[in-house]
Amino acid sequence: MNHLFPQSVSPRDQTQSRLMLLAAGFVFLYAAALTLAPAVRLHTWQAELRWAHWLGVAVWVSTFALLHRLLLRQLPDRDPYLLPAAALLTGWGLMTIWRLEPQFGLRQTLWLAISGGVFALGLRIPEPLRLLRRYKYLWLTSGLLLTALTFFIGVYPAGAGPELWLGCCGVYLQPSEPLKLLLVVYLSAYLADALWLKFNWVSLLSPTLVLTGAALALLLAQRDLGTALIFLTLYFLILYLASGRARVMAAAVGVVLAAAVLGSLLFDVIQTRMAAWLNPWADPSGRSFQIVQSIMAVAAGSLMGSGPGLGSPGLVPVAHSDFIFAAIAEEMGLAGSLGLLAVVGLFVSRGLRAALHAPSNYQRYLAAGLSAYIGVQSILIIGGNLRALPLTGVTLPYVSYGGSSLLTSFIILLILILISSPAELEPAPLPKPAPYRLLALGMVGALTVLALGAGWWALVRAAPLSTRADNPRQAILDRFVGRGRLLDRSGQALVADVGSPGSYRRQINVPSLSLVTGYAHPLYGLSGLEAALNPYLRGLQGVPTSEIQTNQMLYAQRPPGLDVRLSLDRALQAEADRLLGEHRGALVLMNAQTGEILAMASHPYADFNRLDSDWDTWRQDPSAPLFNRAVQGTYPLGAAVNPFLLTAAAGRGPLPALPGAFANRSNSAILECALPPTGDLNWEHVVSAGCPEAAAALEELLAPTAVSNLYRDLGWAEAPDLPLNVAVPPVQDAAQPLQTASLRVSPLQMALAAASLSADGRTPAPRLTVAVNTPAEGWVILPSGPTREALPSQPVQDISARLALTDLPLWMSVARAASPEQTVTWGLGGTVARWQGSPLALAVVIEEDNPAAAAHIVREMLQATLNPTTLSSSPTQP
Amino acid sequence: MAAVVVLVLRVLLALALYAFLGWAFITLWRELRLTSQIVSVRKIPELTLQEQFGEAKTYTFAVMEITLGRDPTCDVPLLDDTISAHHLRLSYHHNQWWAEDLNSTNGSFLNDEKITTPTVMISGDELRAGQLRLLVTIAPH
Repeated sequence: MNHLFPQSVSPRDQTQSRLMLLAAGFVFLYAAALTLAPAVRLHTWQAELRWAHWLGVAVWVSTFALLHRLLLRQLPDRDPYLLPAAALLTGWGLMTIWRLEPQFGLRQTLWLAISGGVFALGLRIPEPLRLLRRYKYLWLTSGLLLTALTFFIGVYPAGAGPELWLGCCGVYLQPSEPLKLLLVVYLSAYLADALWLKFNWVSLLSPTLVLTGAALALLLAQRDLGTALIFLTLYFLILYLASGRARVMAAAVGVVLAAAVLGSLLFDVIQTRMAAWLNPWADPSGRSFQIVQSIMAVAAGSLMGSGPGLGSPGLVPVAHSDFIFAAIAEEMGLAGSLGLLAVVGLFVSRGLRAALHAPSNYQRYLAAGLSAYIGVQSILIIGGNLRALPLTGVTLPYVSYGGSSLLTSFIILLILILISSPAELEPAPLPKPAPYRLLALGMVGALTVLALGAGWWALVRAAPLSTRADNPRQAILDRFVGRGRLLDRSGQALVADVGSPGSYRRQINVPSLSLVTGYAHPLYGLSGLEAALNPYLRGLQGVPTSEIQTNQMLYAQRPPGLDVRLSLDRALQAEADRLLGEHRGALVLMNAQTGEILAMASHPYADFNRLDSDWDTWRQDPSAPLFNRAVQGTYPLGAAVNPFLLTAAAGRGPLPALPGAFANRSNSAILECALPPTGDLNWEHVVSAGCPEAAAALEELLAPTAVSNLYRDLGWAEAPDLPLNVAVPPVQDAAQPLQTASLRVSPLQMALAAASLSADGRTPAPRLTVAVNTPAEGWVILPSGPTREALPSQPVQDISARLALTDLPLWMSVARAASPEQTVTWGLGGTVARWQGSPLALAVVIEEDNPAAAAHIVREMLQATLNPTTLSSSPTQP
Repeated sequence: MAAVVVLVLRVLLALALYAFLGWAFITLWRELRLTSQIVSVRKIPELTLQEQFGEAKTYTFAVMEITLGRDPTCDVPLLDDTISAHHLRLSYHHNQWWAEDLNSTNGSFLNDEKITTPTVMISGDELRAGQLRLLVTIAPH
């Protein structure tokens, strides 16, 4: 390596050589890590490794090896830090651009070769600084003319945008970049020439004001506002350095503030950027999209960063140019961004040192002005990236993509190195050192503030930013690492990833469960169980912290997701879907003892496998296929309360005879029952037939408070505890009784109530998730909620036995329920005490007046559950 | 496996960055402080020019560079027909005051010797521009 950057006996050369070697080491290591990044991301050597950027490494090494040798030979007394600092920044930027956009990396590599060539040529020009000074008006005027030309033949190389570039055929120059350099040259030359005996503002400033004003006007007219701001800052800075008068700085602050106020009145873009800066969270997907994405990238980097090629900095718009700092912060972490700030600080301070040592005022102003240029521009754009300052669309010198910027930066480097290597050893006297000290202090202060800002986002605010819904990084990791599967109770996959690492896609094997399982989509986010179980499915819970940290450190990824077993039964679910068919409604089947939900259907339903294409259709569909009727839908009670009222009444003592409404009529058809009562007219028959007269009579038997207490005991006043978006009953005054007419419950609530009839009066807590497969302990049972007393146990056994069908160990009841908007039909059912297996409870609702259909569904569903062999697919199948 | 290799590379990458900075920064601060101290204590010895005839005006300077000439923008505007618009430049460097003729028509003379190259002045010298004679006095260091 030392052949690349040879040294001599001079300590300067040794310092430069060593620093160049370290910079080269840095670039090599970055490139090597980037090459291997795909293998790390995909966890396999079979990945396609990245090699293209080594072309950039080769050009970088040869360019800087050449420049190093030239400087050793021609300028033995130059500053030994400027070239290595610029080399490190250039190499870092070049590698980052290759990592982000290889085609831009190629272009930047070409520009690096060109810039290096220009640098080498500049070294051959005799007395280049004097040449700049002598023709200062010519330089500035040509710069202005070139900029003015963009009005007429300006283009935007990447398609549509601000037309600030000149050129054609793939080579473009942005004249405002060299214009900044030329302004500094002009101001330094003019102020050094116009030595003042008496300080006369008018005669001193008029020519500079005219020319700077012209440049500003041009830039404002071109809407190149970031450059205009830098212009203004540089103008006042150089004036201050030359005059040493504090009132210049006071004027500068006033003018910049006035410009900001005036600018925000005149230019929409300033208004937008100010608003995005002051309150980015107001419109994070619109006006402040860039800034929000930028700080999310910084937050994603945390302390050590993801590593080259392992993060997602491409999510930030124009990451290779304006937001390259955010990209670096994401992949190199806070450690990297602090290092970058330090290298910028090193460069600027060496430039200021060259200014202090300059042999003439002209060179001093020039060196200080150019150092300030690099410093101010870096601070502006890094501050913009970190939301420390409003966003200004300028480049990060040496680092950002951009040919004109790189070329200008190299010319600045050349000038600073020339000034740092004075022909005369004696620095010019410095009558007023305060401005230089103040400038250095200001730069250090600003860089420190930026370092604190980077730390704030990367460490303090990292956690809330990384979990924001509009941060797509987690979704991107899902594509690389995969989420855990959702299994049914017998271990069959209900939802699983398909594809290979890097292109995993979520597939729902039982589309009718879409509303329960929800979706995990990069654009639409998470819903349903995918959202509720996300920590398990993403391997962030149930996995040892050490493993999470190891994965983060090694791969910048989370551990593979854990499988979660649900209580659902795939075969029963299929049967439920078949039975519910085209009916609009919902069905909940559960184990009445444990609360495990065996099937949950809501028809019509959206198939989330088609999320991308059908989302808008679903949203507009009047049948609401995105609405999980089973848990979110609430329906009037109607006569569906019959079995519960009957049990409650039986708990108070012997039941009276049927009221007169029944006794007088032998013709059951006259009654308003949902179905004609079978057999004799007795309580159990009119209750299971859903006769509203029975409900009315039973309510009369019980006092209103008893009815209300019954409903509370059944859990109808509160939302069931299920990890889904369940319908939450309106907040009610505890003193106010619940009334049958006004109360609405969801099918899930009804199924839970039915469970109390099948399980000795106890209502279980509903349960969808059963166990999670952890790497350390295997399947771990997830906790379930407590059961509670809802109905008195003795009457429950009695009533369910009386409601039982003759041919099957089942009870069932069908009822009509009407509200002003619609009439629905409820079907309830469950097992009775003599059934030896797991007790079952079922609630069905269909949004139509069709008791026969409801009865059919209840009967078939329960029968299928009791005899699983009749099902089309066996649930024990793996 | 690749991940371990890359992790090692990343650690080395950070080390390279901070080795670069560490190497550079220690010297940086020392030098910057030293430089500003050295440079700021250096003062320009005051230069006084006294017209020998006519109005006998006196000019005193403590700046690095002075131009003399008929042009009103000059630091010392001299209203004499034998003097060019930009006649003479006096500058302080290398701990000396230097006189340099700016290609004037009638020439500049130090102690009656024509100035052709920048020449060092000392206190008590007589400077002549055209027909105008000026006595040079330089304050002691």
